[in-house]
Amino acid sequence: MTGLTAMLYREARLRATNATFIFWDVIYPLAYLLVFGVGMSSALGGNFAGLGAGYSEFFLAGVLGMASFGIASNTAWSLFMDRDNGIFYEMLTYPISRGAYLIGKVLFNTLVALVQAVVTVALSAVLLDIDVRWSGLPLLLLAVAAGTAGWFFFYAIFALKIRRNDAFNTVTSIFYFVFLFASSMFYPVDPLPAVFRAAAWANPITWQVDVLRYATIGLGSPATVSLEGALFCIFSTVCFFAALRALMRQK
Amino acid sequence: MQDAIRVAGLCKTFARRGTGKVTAVDGLSFSVGVGQIFGLLGPNGAGKTTTLRILTTLIRATSGVAEVAGIDVARDPLGVRRRIVVVVQESAAEIFLTVRDNLLTFGRFHGLEGADLRQRVDRALEQFGLVADASRKAMDLSGGFRRRIQVAKALLVKTPVVFLDEFSTGMDPILKRSVMDLLREEARNGRTIVLTTQILGEAEALCDDILIINHGRGIARGDVATIKALSTIDNASLEDVFVELTQAVAPGAVDR
Repeated sequence: MTGLTAMLYREARLRATNATFIFWDVIYPLAYLLVFGVGMSSALGGNFAGLGAGYSEFFLAGVLGMASFGIASNTAWSLFMDRDNGIFYEMLTYPISRGAYLIGKVLFNTLVALVQAVVTVALSAVLLDIDVRWSGLPLLLLAVAAGTAGWFFFYAIFALKIRRNDAFNTVTSIFYFVFLFASSMFYPVDPLPAVFRAAAWANPITWQVDVLRYATIGLGSPATVSLEGALFCIFSTVCFFAALRALMRQK
Repeated sequence: MQDAIRVAGLCKTFARRGTGKVTAVDGLSFSVGVGQIFGLLGPNGAGKTTTLRILTTLIRATSGVAEVAGIDVARDPLGVRRRIVVVVQESAAEIFLTVRDNLLTFGRFHGLEGADLRQRVDRALEQFGLVADASRKAMDLSGGFRRRIQVAKALLVKTPVVFLDEFSTGMDPILKRSVMDLLREEARNGRTIVLTTQILGEAEALCDDILIINHGRGIARGDVATIKALSTIDNASLEDVFVELTQAVAPGAVDR
């Protein structure tokens, strides 16, 4: 545990050097929801896509998924920062396993994502009058934690294999476009054209957002959500081992 | 004498695009006794840093055996990392953290905490002339000062083996002399120090034992006097011998 707590401490110290970023991380999903969600909700009316929920309610899970996706990609990007500062290779000689390094790297930001999720859900209930399913809070926290870690492991595979910062930025831009829009983040999957729908169902963001949506407003069937949750856990595990392999092959 | 490091038949080949395989380390064998200051010398591309990277678990050998503090680097890399501290060749610092936080953060990885860690950090700050800069962020310091932080970290913890890859880069002569004194003291206290350097005067002044390698193979081994005796020049300096050996001596079986 020494290595893991040392990694957590290190990441916390680094993030604490710029409290503004932490503050923005915590409030930005809410800000997104207040601007984009409210705007869309006004334009589309109270029963979005016949789901029996307003757009803000529907989009709450989407914005939480987007936030954990963003935190994960930023955390993976910090591997480049470590590499540029030379500390990356030195850290690989520290008494910590490669697995603990990866988990420790994302642990603090997972805690930030959890705080972010609680603040977003609580304030959206107060400010937007969203009927939050509070009994789903444990599932919500689990989905945010697993999502942030899983997406970090996914991005870390590329951050560790790609040597150039600018190339990684291009990759993340493509991923943002593909993963976020071919998913259930902004709209329901069922009315989409067949190919688009198939892509969305195969997209792990859809799996995570559907779990978040079930946890926050109870939308979706428990059987489907359970399956999607299990698929996301498998996806995260595979990504962890792929990232671990990439880390162990650093030269 | 007990061995702190044992290397036998170590090989490392890299696949390079367009050029096929490149052999960086080619059947290297040597051992280093506990409490010695060991210099691994060689021209650029001789295989020094690759050897160090294998010993510090950064890369895996293609074949051969390497043990550090009695532990096989391939079988138990974490066990090795618990017993070593490494100053890598590149500048390496947590640039957004203060000098003090750099040391505190590093100490925690080695299980130090509380008053013990703080005392050690205060001592290291004094030893390396960093007290006045303790609250400054590493990003605001020169390369030489960042190097001080790196070496200070190595002496903050008490691992049995220390690896220093070009440790004096960017250090002024006064600090370098005092760091060399500290390294001698660490060795007297039983720590084994393995260093690479291109500054041969540094190796001559510090090392109990030297291995010169070229093309990934050992070409000369022994203390400074033994190495100097290999020269054909009268009163040769270590640099004279180094140039003579690395230019003229074919890679051979001087390893032991």
